[in-house]
Amino acid sequence: MKPLALLLALVFFVLGALYGLGTINVLTKSGTEHAHHVSHLVVCWVLALLALVWYRFQSSANGARH
Amino acid sequence: MTDFQALILALLQGVSELFPVSSLGHTILVPALLHWTNIHRANPTFLAFVVLLHLGTALALIVYYRARWLAIVRALVTSVIRGRLSDDRDERIGWLLVVGTIPVGVLGVLFEEPVRTLFASPAPAALFLALNGLVMFAGEWLRRRQLANPSRADRPIEHLSFAQSVLVGFAQSFALLPGISRSGASMVAGLLCDLDHEDAAEFSFLLATPVIFAAALLETRYLVAPGAHVSVAFLMRYFRSNDLRPFGWYCLIAGVCCFILSKRGFLS
Repeated sequence: MKPLALLLALVFFVLGALYGLGTINVLTKSGTEHAHHVSHLVVCWVLALLALVWYRFQSSANGARH
Repeated sequence: MTDFQALILALLQGVSELFPVSSLGHTILVPALLHWTNIHRANPTFLAFVVLLHLGTALALIVYYRARWLAIVRALVTSVIRGRLSDDRDERIGWLLVVGTIPVGVLGVLFEEPVRTLFASPAPAALFLALNGLVMFAGEWLRRRQLANPSRADRPIEHLSFAQSVLVGFAQSFALLPGISRSGASMVAGLLCDLDHEDAAEFSFLLATPVIFAAALLETRYLVAPGAHVSVAFLMRYFRSNDLRPFGWYCLIAGVCCFILSKRGFLS
């Protein structure tokens, strides 16, 4: 599961960056496009952070087993 | 929107947000009932105004549960530094809240635009309000069936599984629809996960705080809705010995009446 956690963190980080830059606009068509993009960026990066926390918990668990 | 209208909506939201009667639905229905035609409910600025009103609620919740939040945040930070989960109660509740917040955070951002279209007309809000009442009745009915089963007993919040926390968080997401109560939906889900009324209310209020706070902060401006602190104190006392049915009756009757008024053209 450790590679999955890292992969998720990377995917969410890149997605957030793309939303922040306005490169992708999936489900962001609205009158306040900028605010929308910031919301997507924040949510993606929070998810990336949580994926990293998940990775950390798994790393420690593996370390404890060894 | 005039200052008076903003004040009325702020007071309405502040008092009703934590009651399981959908403050959002009321924010749609009351201006329609009062024929405030200058308020354009589908306008993005109206949604921003509504979200900002929630900041007062989030602040009230943080103040009310300040000791609990402090302990939770401390426990979360400690567990991340330590790199593993322990049996600490606050830490467990903290991670349950983190996991339970993910569904509404993701769905709220992804479906903000489609949901906004529902704000234009009071009829969907009235229907969802009536549905909210039925959900509470169904929740209480299922809860009573659970209690009749001797093999099932109430469990404290920290004994919820992460999957159950996601379920409660997912139920909370339905409150993106105007007329569906956030606290009502998450409380019903909590009851079905074997929490008692008081714990279900507490978990619902704790779960609401981060997402309301984050949503309000993203709207950049600041407005405080008074009354929420009084509401949470009252409700925590109320749910020690009472259930959701009175709110279910209110939502059902108000929703059906508003829907009929809407179809007969009495709502603007």
